[in-house]
Amino acid sequence: MTRDWWKHMVLILGTIIVLAPFYMMVSYSFKSPGEIDRGEGGFFGRQEMMIDPRCVALRQPDRADIEAARARFAGQDDASVQASLLAETEADCSMRPVVFNYSKAFTEAPLVRYLLNGVIVTVSIFLIQIVVALPAAYALAKLKFWGRDAVFGLVLFCLLIPVHAIALPLYIGLAKLGLTNTYAALVVPWTISVFGIFLMRQFFMTVPDDLIDAARMDGMSELAIVWRVMLPTAIPALLAFAIFSVVAHWNDYFWPRIVVTGNRDLFTPPLGLREFKGDGDGSFFGPMMATATVIVTPLIVAFLLAQRRFIEGITLSGMK
Amino acid sequence: MSDLQIASVTKHFGETSVLKGVTLDVKDGEFISLVGPSGCGKSTLLRIIAGLETPTSGNIAIGGINVTQLRAADRNLSMVFQSYALYPHLTVAENIAVPLQMRQMSALQRLPVLGSIVPGARTQKDDIAQAVRHAAEMLEIAALLDRKPGQLSGGQRQRVALGRALVRDPAAFLLDEPLSNLDAKLRVQTRAEIAELHRRLKATFIYVTHDQVEAMTMSDRIAVMMGGEILQCAAPDVIYEDPDDIRVAEFIGSPKINILPVERNGTALTVFDQVLNSRLSIDSPKVMQMGLRPEALQLTQSAPRLTGRVVHLENLGSEVFAQIALDSDGSRVTLRAMPEQRQNLGLGAPVGLSFDLNAAMIFDAGGARLRQVELAATRAAEVA
Amino acid sequence: MVAIDPSLAADVTKPKADNRQARTGWGLAAPALILMFLILLVPIIAAGVLSFTNYSLGNPSFDWVGLQNYERLFTRSTYEKMYVATFTYVVTVVPISVGLGLGAALLVHSLGRIGDIYKTIYFLPVMATLLAMAIAWEFMLHPTIGMVNRTLEMACGTWFEVIPFFADGCAEGFPLWLGDRDYAIWVVCFIGIWQGFGFNMVLFLAGLTSVHRELYHAAEMDGARSGWERFRLVTWPALGPTTVFVVTISCIRAFQVFDTIEAFWPQGGGPNKSAYVMMFAIFEKGIQQNLIGIGSAITMLFLLFVMFLTLIQRWLVERKVHY
Repeated sequence: MTRDWWKHMVLILGTIIVLAPFYMMVSYSFKSPGEIDRGEGGFFGRQEMMIDPRCVALRQPDRADIEAARARFAGQDDASVQASLLAETEADCSMRPVVFNYSKAFTEAPLVRYLLNGVIVTVSIFLIQIVVALPAAYALAKLKFWGRDAVFGLVLFCLLIPVHAIALPLYIGLAKLGLTNTYAALVVPWTISVFGIFLMRQFFMTVPDDLIDAARMDGMSELAIVWRVMLPTAIPALLAFAIFSVVAHWNDYFWPRIVVTGNRDLFTPPLGLREFKGDGDGSFFGPMMATATVIVTPLIVAFLLAQRRFIEGITLSGMK
Repeated sequence: MSDLQIASVTKHFGETSVLKGVTLDVKDGEFISLVGPSGCGKSTLLRIIAGLETPTSGNIAIGGINVTQLRAADRNLSMVFQSYALYPHLTVAENIAVPLQMRQMSALQRLPVLGSIVPGARTQKDDIAQAVRHAAEMLEIAALLDRKPGQLSGGQRQRVALGRALVRDPAAFLLDEPLSNLDAKLRVQTRAEIAELHRRLKATFIYVTHDQVEAMTMSDRIAVMMGGEILQCAAPDVIYEDPDDIRVAEFIGSPKINILPVERNGTALTVFDQVLNSRLSIDSPKVMQMGLRPEALQLTQSAPRLTGRVVHLENLGSEVFAQIALDSDGSRVTLRAMPEQRQNLGLGAPVGLSFDLNAAMIFDAGGARLRQVELAATRAAEVA
Repeated sequence: MVAIDPSLAADVTKPKADNRQARTGWGLAAPALILMFLILLVPIIAAGVLSFTNYSLGNPSFDWVGLQNYERLFTRSTYEKMYVATFTYVVTVVPISVGLGLGAALLVHSLGRIGDIYKTIYFLPVMATLLAMAIAWEFMLHPTIGMVNRTLEMACGTWFEVIPFFADGCAEGFPLWLGDRDYAIWVVCFIGIWQGFGFNMVLFLAGLTSVHRELYHAAEMDGARSGWERFRLVTWPALGPTTVFVVTISCIRAFQVFDTIEAFWPQGGGPNKSAYVMMFAIFEKGIQQNLIGIGSAITMLFLLFVMFLTLIQRWLVERKVHY
């Protein structure tokens, strides 16, 4: 341990650099705009009550309000009634910075919708990938048919193609079909995971033939074998692949940026954050960082809970 | 080459104690086997000798010099590993050359390209190549020198590992179950070759194995280890014929030795209430155990000491092993018989067994040998 | 019971069973095959064809322009900047993130179980949404209220000012970072390394744990005294295949850098186009400006680079197959 102190020094330095932006992101999501500007307040900020200027501006008391309130402030002139009303509004509009930031994150933009979209897109991508890849992987691993080697060769060739790289022609195709700005556009290009086929094929190769023959003796069809015999044996590999797929598509920004333009109802979390940044002025750093925190948190928490599985899943590509 | 002393070595891993004070003197040029079931601490002991692990207490001395604090690289020992541990990216020749390069060439000389310019590097290299060739020829792997380990069979890799060990002149060779990854036939062959190598090199060999046949066939002495202790260290025939402990008797010998319960009634030694002799001193314990090797039992018609029925037969061609369930308590004993006795050994056939008291070993209830009792018993038999 | 001539039975059933397996085989693989063609192969061909046209989305027709698009790619200064930015990024990020990944892996591995905590921390950037982290970095690097410059300013008035960088910074203000064309691409590189080295570290760690422990013992017995000698003799050769893989995947990922650049400079790819990388060029030309022809040409060039890299990797791995 004492011998290793220099290693810890180096690694801790790395830790500081790695964690700095996370620290800042979470810290800003707690602080008031003033604290952010002046760079004070430590990690949590002082959490003094602050007044939301937009809220006040929206509820500026007008003539009618003053007339209506006259009964409550009997015997006062208009100016002081207005002042009292303003004070009430300000009291209503004041809140702790952390509440302000996070409530703004959810109210200024339909963040819940974005998160829901993220879930819809990642889950449907993963499910379709499995439905397409598993039977193909089974056929390539366990069935003998003419042309199998050619098909597998094609799979190996397609492994070379990064889908992001062919975004432009894919976009043109989808545009021609009138599919831009739909869920389909977000999902379709990812429905085929060549890597998934390859991975599952390698996994199925290790499943003993006897198991399949036994299932055939029991009278199962080939498709039934895929779903009722092969799928259960492949659960660990599938779990790793699920993590690989979900992380990639939850975090993906490039592809949604291309096919979803303007229609907020289809925004995925990263797009929503981008939109926030686009129209935010300086005073909105807090809510923006709150949004970023909300978007990043689910995967980070899941990762911390199941580190080994996540690392396995993300480095799956290392098995090529 | 020199002798090697292991003095009251202990090793603890946390709470568990793997070695409980092992002392062993290995003479120069001796072939000694450490044998025992898995988990008995034999591999740990070997790794402590090698310097790959440090003992919790105790000392290791090589040639009279205490090396306990010395690291493995400085102890001048060679080791053959169970997995062979060949460097996969180097050819056979390069693998064998590594220990020489590491020891004889300076770091500068070992540099690729640049190293060859350093003065002396050329002759060094030639010397090493010479030594590698010599070792390869001794092991008949000269034809494989340019291959990589991945292209070799298990037996060939094993030879390369041996070659890497003997290319220099170490104080002792340490072999950690070197044959366990070979198939049965190759194992027999390599066994003979290693024994021959030992005779040729006249070097000290310390050989770890769980296979008693290897230990019996190759060693000058066998150290039987169990539970982190050496139970007995002696020549193979002594270990087999005259074990100090029932665990040694049970571990060595195949099929296993037969153990029967014996009792002392007054001055009489009895097995299943049958008196074997009646001259026992009354100091000897009441409950004892008797060990009988399968070849110590004989089939007999007249006045058998034990009776039973054949329940299982194993015919190995040159000999027959019969398992016999004893009438007295149903326990089974193994009998070695000659093939011509087969007709008496039909399944279920009743048989009578006798044995020579000279061949019986008596142990106390805890397993320690009671030579006193045996002496009294044989003397009584002579009188009778 | 009907007696069947055994030879006849064999003749008839075997091809039949084979046929049936062939049909189910193709049947099961068909959906994947069709999608593979439609989503991966057809677009490549389409991009290849379109790169010879002046097509725009919404136009009823297009003209063949021959090699004009490619010619532009090799003559216009914009594209020269694109190559410079892309290769600067790749050549910086790949070696440093691989080196740091290896170094971190060796340190973490040598620490045993305590090392796992560093592994977890270093892997966090890999998991986090890059766009969100890019925005966080943008705040960190904000010229006036960013954490980075605030930290640097703390050095003013101390002996740090001996260093020219601090002297200039304290006198004339610290760099604008993202707004400064001398720094922009390097900042992007830094974030790329920040994000990617944990991934490489984990791959190297997997490689390290698969090295047989007896090899280290053998090296020790063979007289390898120093850690460096053991690294040269055992670790480095054993990590060979991992290294080849890590370098390739880092290259491919580096070529695809987009999120950070689009987040920092939605228009134009950085000050003076100093961070105008290929993916951003495809996005800007092909999608924002609807110049499909030129976008397709860049796409083809990009694919060429990536496939070339992967083929080199495959070749290197094949060469080492006799392990």
